[in-house]
Amino acid sequence: MSTTTTVSTTMQPTSSLARSPKFKAFAITFSISGPVIYCLVQYFNYPLVTYWPAIGRLVWGLEAARPNSGPNMLWYGWTLTTIIIAGALGIIAMLVPERITKKIPLWLVWLFPILVVPYVVYSLMYWWRLAARQ
Amino acid sequence: MSAIISTNTFWTLWLFAHLICALGLLGAVTHQAMAVALPVRKPAAGIVARFRAVPAAGYATAVCALYVIVFLIGSFIYTQYRIAIRIPLEAEHYYKTGGFFDFKEHMAAIGLVLLPAYWYFWKNAQSPEYDNARKGVTLVLAVIVWFLFIVGHVLNNSRGFAS
Repeated sequence: MSTTTTVSTTMQPTSSLARSPKFKAFAITFSISGPVIYCLVQYFNYPLVTYWPAIGRLVWGLEAARPNSGPNMLWYGWTLTTIIIAGALGIIAMLVPERITKKIPLWLVWLFPILVVPYVVYSLMYWWRLAARQ
Repeated sequence: MSAIISTNTFWTLWLFAHLICALGLLGAVTHQAMAVALPVRKPAAGIVARFRAVPAAGYATAVCALYVIVFLIGSFIYTQYRIAIRIPLEAEHYYKTGGFFDFKEHMAAIGLVLLPAYWYFWKNAQSPEYDNARKGVTLVLAVIVWFLFIVGHVLNNSRGFAS
């Protein structure tokens, strides 16, 4: 038995979402802006929530270290802030005429996640410095 | 919960579920990445060619669903990691391991936001205008998923739950 390739050239999108130009504008804007927004949110430290796993405490926004509360976790908050901002940008893109959103370069979707990697590595300098001291 | 199973068993079961779903995700996204990077143009002979010759477009929704499931389970067990794993890791000076885990959490969030465009490109696989973008985002997502998997695996070897 033999099989042939991969991406069918005759297949039509079965989902109405996949045929929607508005969803296209949302998806592309969300995915292009997402990695950049995540880095900005992390850099400026704007978590939507702060979670304290040792005491099960969840609070809005950033809550700095407190005595006898264990470590705080900001990653959930950064991720939620990113989703909300990127989602809002995506909704705005849905309202923009298609002739404008069609001009968004699609290659930015895969380029930005690569370009943010050096920043992400740099943002973890705390760990690398500790490791270098050993 | 502790009346039925121990706390360690509880978290180990969730970690195991995380691993199983991650394996499914890894397989699906690797098939897709191979299919877009090295497409098979003629009837496939041999295991490598058949690996590349899967109907890759059909994997898109499954990859998105698995990514979200793995992400949610990982987010859940992350709370336990922060207390039971990371603090001892720091105490024992496993700084590179801790740093790579934080790298993993950032890349997991970045991979998550790629999913809408990734899904859209694959659901419009008949449109040549998306070919390059689909190829690029699939390869980036595959690299991210492999990175997350390897870091998670090494971390579990360093200090898994119940260790």
